[in-house]
Amino acid sequence: MDFSLNQEQEMFRGYVRKYLDGAGQTKTARAYIEGENESLRTLLSGLAELGCSSINISEDHGGMGLGPLDLIPVLEETGRSLLPGLFLETNALAVPLIEKFGTEVQKDRYLAEIAAGRKTFSLAWLEPGGSYGPSDINLEAKSLNGQLILSGVKSMVPDAGLADHYIVLVRTGKGKRNDGITLLIVDRNETNITMESQKNIDETRHLAALSFHDVEIPMGQVLGSMHQGWDALQEGLLSFNAALSAVIVGCMEKVVEMAAEYAKIREQFGQPIGRFQAIKHRIVDMKMDLETARSLAYYANWALESGAEDRVQAVSCARIFATKAFVRISSDNIQVHGGIGFTEEIDCHLFVKRARFYENYLGSTEQYYKQAATALGW
Amino acid sequence: MDFSFTTKEEKFRLELRAWLEENLPEGWLEGTSNVSKDEGEYAVFLRNWQRKLYEGGWAAIAWPKKYGGREATLMEEIVYQQEMVRVKAPALVNYVGIHMVGPTLMQIGTDEQKSKYIQKIITGEEVWCQGYSEPNAGSDLSAIQTSAVKDGDRWIINGQKVWTSFGHLADRCFLLARTNRFDKKHKGITVFLLDMNQPGVETRPIIQMDGQHDFNEVYLNDAIAYDAEIVGEVDEGWKVTIALLMHERTGIGAQVFTLEQQFKELVALAKELKEDDMPLMDNPLVRHTMVDLYTRTRGSLLNYYRNLTKTLKNGHPGAEGSMDKLMVSELTKELLSQSISLQGHKGVLWKEDAISSNSYWQDNYLYSFGQTIGGGTSEIQKNTIGERILGLPKDMGR
Ligand SMILES: Cc1cc2nc3c(=O)[nH]c(=O)nc-3n(C[C@H](O)[C@H](O)[C@H](O)COP(=O)(O)OP(=O)(O)OC[C@H]3O[C@@H](n4cnc5c(N)ncnc54)[C@H](O)[C@@H]3O)c2cc1C
Repeated sequence: MDFSLNQEQEMFRGYVRKYLDGAGQTKTARAYIEGENESLRTLLSGLAELGCSSINISEDHGGMGLGPLDLIPVLEETGRSLLPGLFLETNALAVPLIEKFGTEVQKDRYLAEIAAGRKTFSLAWLEPGGSYGPSDINLEAKSLNGQLILSGVKSMVPDAGLADHYIVLVRTGKGKRNDGITLLIVDRNETNITMESQKNIDETRHLAALSFHDVEIPMGQVLGSMHQGWDALQEGLLSFNAALSAVIVGCMEKVVEMAAEYAKIREQFGQPIGRFQAIKHRIVDMKMDLETARSLAYYANWALESGAEDRVQAVSCARIFATKAFVRISSDNIQVHGGIGFTEEIDCHLFVKRARFYENYLGSTEQYYKQAATALGW
Repeated sequence: MDFSFTTKEEKFRLELRAWLEENLPEGWLEGTSNVSKDEGEYAVFLRNWQRKLYEGGWAAIAWPKKYGGREATLMEEIVYQQEMVRVKAPALVNYVGIHMVGPTLMQIGTDEQKSKYIQKIITGEEVWCQGYSEPNAGSDLSAIQTSAVKDGDRWIINGQKVWTSFGHLADRCFLLARTNRFDKKHKGITVFLLDMNQPGVETRPIIQMDGQHDFNEVYLNDAIAYDAEIVGEVDEGWKVTIALLMHERTGIGAQVFTLEQQFKELVALAKELKEDDMPLMDNPLVRHTMVDLYTRTRGSLLNYYRNLTKTLKNGHPGAEGSMDKLMVSELTKELLSQSISLQGHKGVLWKEDAISSNSYWQDNYLYSFGQTIGGGTSEIQKNTIGERILGLPKDMGR
C-alpha cells in the first residue's frame, strides 16, 4: 500500500512551484486579463524548458514517455497560479488523442512540437445554442475531391487566439446521434476562418466563436476514423478529466491557503478571526473538500495509468467532486475575507471565476453524473 | 502508487478467513444464527467470542508475541479490520483493554501491573472500560471533578462518570480522577486502574436512542484504589491519556470499511425497493444521490489510505486521524439517513416490523448519531484540524 506521489514526482513539483512562484504566481494571469500575452509566452516556454510539456509524450516523439501520474505535479502547480493558456487542453486532451488515434504523419508533425512547447491545441466543440451532447454537433463537413469542406460556427473555443491548432468536431455523416461525428485537426491560420471574441466571466481564459466559411481541410487531417470521432473523444476526455481534477486540486489548495493565512492575520474584536469557529470550521470544511478532491484525483489518474477496471467511474467521480467543491470553497473564501474578498484587488474572485469556467467545461456536471452511474452498472 | 496488498498480507488474509469460517458462531455467515437478546446471555456470548479469538491467536494481533499477540504489521491490522467487517464479526467486548489499556501498560506500566493485568486482557477474563467523561466534563475533559484523596497506601475516590461503554460488563476501569485541586486544569489528574467489583462502585444502565444499552453511569462512593493501581505519576495523568491515544494506530479503519460495505448494501436496497413498479435505482434523482454517496465514500476510503501511507512512512499516526474521524462519522450518518429515506414512509417501521432485513437500516441509522459524538465530537475534531493542521489560533479558554 502506498497512496502518494513518488519522490521524483514531488521533487519535480518543487521545481515547477519555484519557477511559478518566481514569476509571481497569479501575476501572469492578471497580465493576460489586461491583454498582455508576452509574459504568458515567456512563462510557458520556461515550463517547457523544465520539461513540463514533454512529460506524457512518447519517447519516439521527443517526450519522456511518462504517464498521467507524472503530469499531476505540473497540473496542480499551474492550477495554483491560475495559469492561462492551453497546457491542459494540449497535453491532457490533444496528446492522448494523437498518441492513441493519430497517424504516423500526424504524430511526427505535432508531438515533437508540443513536447518542445512550441505548439498548442484548443478544442472547437460547442455550437451556438447547442450543448456538449452529440446531437448538437451540426457543423457540416462535406467530402469533395478528397477534401472536407467545413461550414458552420463553433462557439466558446477556449483561447482560440493562442492556439496553433484546433481539434474540431464536425458532422460527416447523417448517422445516429454519436455516429457520423469526426475529429479534425485544423490550423488556426487556415484561410476562411473568422474569429470573434466572446466575453467570459473568467477573464484569465479567452473565448471566441469561430466561423468556418467553406474551409478546405485535407483528409489527412482526420484524427482517428471517419465518423467515429465521438468514441475517440470519450477516450481523450478520460485523460482530460483526470488531469482537470488535478488542476482543480492545485487551485483548491491555493484557496485553502489563502483563507487560512488571512484568518491568522486579520484581527477583529481584538483577536484573529481564525479563532472564531464560524470561520475556523468553515476553513476546515474547505480543507476536507480539498483533501477529498485530491484523493479522488490521484486515484483517477492512477486508475487511468494502470488501466484499472473502475477507471471510468473513478474519473467521472473525481471530476464531479472537484468541480463542485471548487465552486463551493472558492465562494467560501470570499466570505472569509470579508469586504476585501469582494474586490478585484485580491485573487479571491479569480478563483471563483475559474471554478465556474471548469464546472461544466467539456461536459456538464449532469452528464458526468450519468456517466458515473452507467459505469457503475446502475 | 500501489493499492495492492503484498503476498504476505494476502496470505494473512486467507489464514484469518479460514479461521473465521471455522470458528464464527453457528450460522453466523449465513445470517441464521440466533444470538440471545437477553443482556446477561449476550455478555456471556461476547466473552466466549473473545476467548475463542484469543485461543486462535486473533484477539490482539498487534501485541508482542510474549503477551500473546502476533506482532502484526500495520497493514496486517488493516487486513484484519477488513475481514472482521466483511463477516460482521461479533463485537470485541474488551476493545478498551486490547486497544488502549494493554498497549499503554506495556509502554509505561510497572512490572507488577504488566504481570497482573495484561494476560487477563487478552484472554477476556477481565473486561475493561474507560472512565473519562463526567456530567460536567465531556468535550472539555480537563474539567473532571471526580476526586481521589490519599489515605495511606490507598486512594478514596468519589464522583460520577457517564457514557461509560461496557461499564456494566467491565471488571476494571481506566479511570481519570483529580488528585490535586490547585494545579492548572490539565495538571493534577491521575490515572487509576480501578477495580469495578467493589461496594464503592455502582453502575447504572443508560438506554440509547437505538434502544440498546452499551453505555452507563458509574457512581463512585468511597471507591478504593491502591498506589499500585496508578499508571505513570500522580498528577501527571494527562500525559498518560495522550500516550494512550497514540496507540490507536489504525484509527477509524473499521468504520471506513463498514461505511464501504454499507454503501454496497444501500445500492442493493435501491435496486430492490420499488415505487410504482419502478426500481428506485432507475429514478434519476436517486441515481444522482447514489453517485454523490459513492463519490464521497470512495473519497473517505482514499483519504484514509493516503493518511495510512503517511503513518506507514512516519511510523506513527498524525493529526490527520481527526480528518478521517470527522469525515467518516458524518458521512455514515448521511448514508444511513438515506437508507431510511429510500424506504419511504415504511422507513419508520422498526424492529420486527421493519420491511427490510431485521431492522438493519433502522438500527444502524439510530446508532449512527453516536458516532459524531463519541471519541470527540465533530466540532472538537474541527478545532483539532483547524489548529493542528491549518495552524489557526487556539479556541478561547484553552
Ligand atoms: C456512543 C458513545 C460512547 C461513549 N463511550 C465513552 C466511554 O466509554 N468512556 C467515556 O469516558 N466517554 C464515552 N463517551 C462520551 C464522549 O466522549 C462524550 O460524549 C463526548 O466527548 C462529548 O461530551 P458531552 O457529551 O459532554 O458533550 P458536550 O461536550 O457538552 O458537547 C455538547 C455540544 O457542544 C459542542 N461543544 C463542546 N465544546 C465545544 C467547543 N470547544 N467548540 C465547539 N463546540 C463545542 C459539542 O461539539 C456538542 O455539539 C461516549 C459517547 C458516546 C456517544
